[in-house]
Amino acid sequence: MARIPTEFRAPAEVENHMIALLAVLHVVSSIPTLGSLAKEVGGARIEVESLGKGYQDPHFVEPKPSLMLVLNRADLLLHVGLELEIGWLPPLVLGSRNPKIQPGELGNLDCSRSIPVLDVPTTKLDRSMGDIHPQGNPHYWLPPANAKIIAREIAERLQQLDPDGRAEYEKNLAAFNKRVDMKTREWAPMTAKLKGVKVATYHKSWSYVSQWLGLQEVGYVEPKPGIPPDPQHLARLITVMKQEGAKLLMMENFYNKSVATLVAEKAGAKLLTLPTDVGATPEIKDWFSLVETLLKALSSSV
Amino acid sequence: MKLALLLLSVALPAAAQQVDAGIPDDLQKELEKAIRSDSGTPPQGEKAPSAPPAATSGSSGNAPQTLLRGAQSLNPDFSVILDGVAGYERRAPQFLSGDDPDLGAQGTSHALGFMVQEVELAFSAIVDPYFKGEVYLTIPNLSGLEVEEAFATTTSLPWNLQVKAGSFRSAFGRQNGQHLHLQDFTRRPLINAAFLGADGMRGPGAQVSWLAPLPFFLTLAGEAFSLRSAPADESQVLPLPVESFGADGSTRPTLAVEAKAFFPISETWSLTSGLSFASGRSPGLLLVDGTPTGAGRDSQLYGVDVYLKWKPANVSLGYESLAFQAEAIMRHLDAGDGVVGEWDGGGYAQIVAQFARRWFVGLRGDIVGVPSSSVLARTGRLGASLTFQASEFARLRAYLDAERASGTSVLLPQAQPEWAPAAFLQLEFSMGAHGAHPY
Repeated sequence: MARIPTEFRAPAEVENHMIALLAVLHVVSSIPTLGSLAKEVGGARIEVESLGKGYQDPHFVEPKPSLMLVLNRADLLLHVGLELEIGWLPPLVLGSRNPKIQPGELGNLDCSRSIPVLDVPTTKLDRSMGDIHPQGNPHYWLPPANAKIIAREIAERLQQLDPDGRAEYEKNLAAFNKRVDMKTREWAPMTAKLKGVKVATYHKSWSYVSQWLGLQEVGYVEPKPGIPPDPQHLARLITVMKQEGAKLLMMENFYNKSVATLVAEKAGAKLLTLPTDVGATPEIKDWFSLVETLLKALSSSV
Repeated sequence: MKLALLLLSVALPAAAQQVDAGIPDDLQKELEKAIRSDSGTPPQGEKAPSAPPAATSGSSGNAPQTLLRGAQSLNPDFSVILDGVAGYERRAPQFLSGDDPDLGAQGTSHALGFMVQEVELAFSAIVDPYFKGEVYLTIPNLSGLEVEEAFATTTSLPWNLQVKAGSFRSAFGRQNGQHLHLQDFTRRPLINAAFLGADGMRGPGAQVSWLAPLPFFLTLAGEAFSLRSAPADESQVLPLPVESFGADGSTRPTLAVEAKAFFPISETWSLTSGLSFASGRSPGLLLVDGTPTGAGRDSQLYGVDVYLKWKPANVSLGYESLAFQAEAIMRHLDAGDGVVGEWDGGGYAQIVAQFARRWFVGLRGDIVGVPSSSVLARTGRLGASLTFQASEFARLRAYLDAERASGTSVLLPQAQPEWAPAAFLQLEFSMGAHGAHPY
């Protein structure tokens, strides 16, 4: 990013517009939430595009060749890591013919780098345990503490790629952190209501949210990650939910509802199909509205 | 809190045992029905999003395990893929691809039994900041270790270029580049063995490909291979088809160019299409008396392929998807060595429908030796497959086909106009870390 000599400087608002037009860094994210967090710290110095949509299962994005074109133009690729995207992202990155975003390059950021990872397997792994992630649970982007870590990682990387924007990235990051703190206080009454609430979930993808909110997970509709349930497992789950008094069944809105609907009904619980990504519904435009929508849905059900 | 967790951990298995004893019949039925409907057609109405379910980590509850990561290793990803079959074939197939199941039928006698269709050993890793390396070893039909592919791909060339070098499958058409476990049917299409070679068009060579800077996806690739093949031998019980390429392999490289385009018609519909051309020299045919004929004629292949897919963006409304795939190849064999020049061709069309979470059904029609051919007896085949995908790592497939050779050729003087059926039950599984496949 070339610095514009002071004597040629246009008024600030025009200059901001020029920066947007010069389009600085093109950032591509595997899931929209990462792109949205990047936009918070990148501001007008970056433009953001996402490969997966917020209403898609991030494990199973179709690796359409058109996505290689998107990656071909990227200066920075943001991905969740922990093998969440292992089934579709690597061939797209290789096929993009973009040296900047290959693994190991500055333009390739695994956003899990500094995340305190949950559910790291502690025993010998094999596929009899279902479709497990050997490096731990990759569904980490919802809690505010993790959002701050991701934003910091992205800001650091943007500074390395675009040193001229350093001050702006730092300013934006500080503003983002401040807003997260403010929102966290604003959300406190909702989060307080959820502490200790017993829930069942569809996929084992809520560990970070449960840890943050103090939810107690009593069981899962999937007997093992990615493996469809059998009646024995569901009957057991229903019994456990009743015994434990779990009144909520949480599920991402991209899964099929049939089984979860029945389980919730039999267990006397409420099925909540919840957004987990920016763009899960058209109204969810950034991380803040994502988390707020989630908290409102949860807290209004207890 | 700790006490509560402890109690919970005791209570859970106890509760499990209680219900294991027996589920009320009506509940069992209702659950089964819901599972079926979850795996198949969705409940009515409801507008929502899209894709199949997947994984999360297993193990250890919610205890934070700060920054404890899986053991690091610089070993390549290593996987083993096995295809085993039990089958019956009424007579030997006219065209047997290297990784088709070979039950050993001779001529018009039948065969019945078991075979390990293929064991594949795959290794892959990023080599350094400039190359990715992949090696695929194969043991087809328990008949010895072959190098299916072993190549490096560049990762950091400028100008949208990528180079692949080593021994690899050509990008000609669609199925040629795909390994057995990406096929939707137990046998490869007839065009594979008839025009591209029993093992497909693969061998030592190099490829340069370029991603065009256009608003839509278009790649152009140029390839050169040193292919070596022997003339087809008329005196063999199972004569191999006359090869398109591979004569004078030590002096005359086989050349190919391919264009591939992708059109995202909508979020659910997409179209992939390719045009391919290859040029080389045919090794011809060894007559029963030992005299070669048609050796060293130049030959050219012209191919076109399409792949049309419908798949909703997620599975909230159901697991159905649909894919149509077709390829056609025309071949020109030049005049030479006292043999006149000729055109022949063939193709296939298939449709594969996913009708439930774990179930796929496929139909395929094949024809080669059209409009006419002196070296390929006109042969048609109809096939159907039903695949149960137990998990992402294992599937079970029932495959049926029927084949007839309505024409004759130098290698098949007698037509075999009656339909000869074949049936296979195929088990395919994959162990270890196997890289994702391109679209």
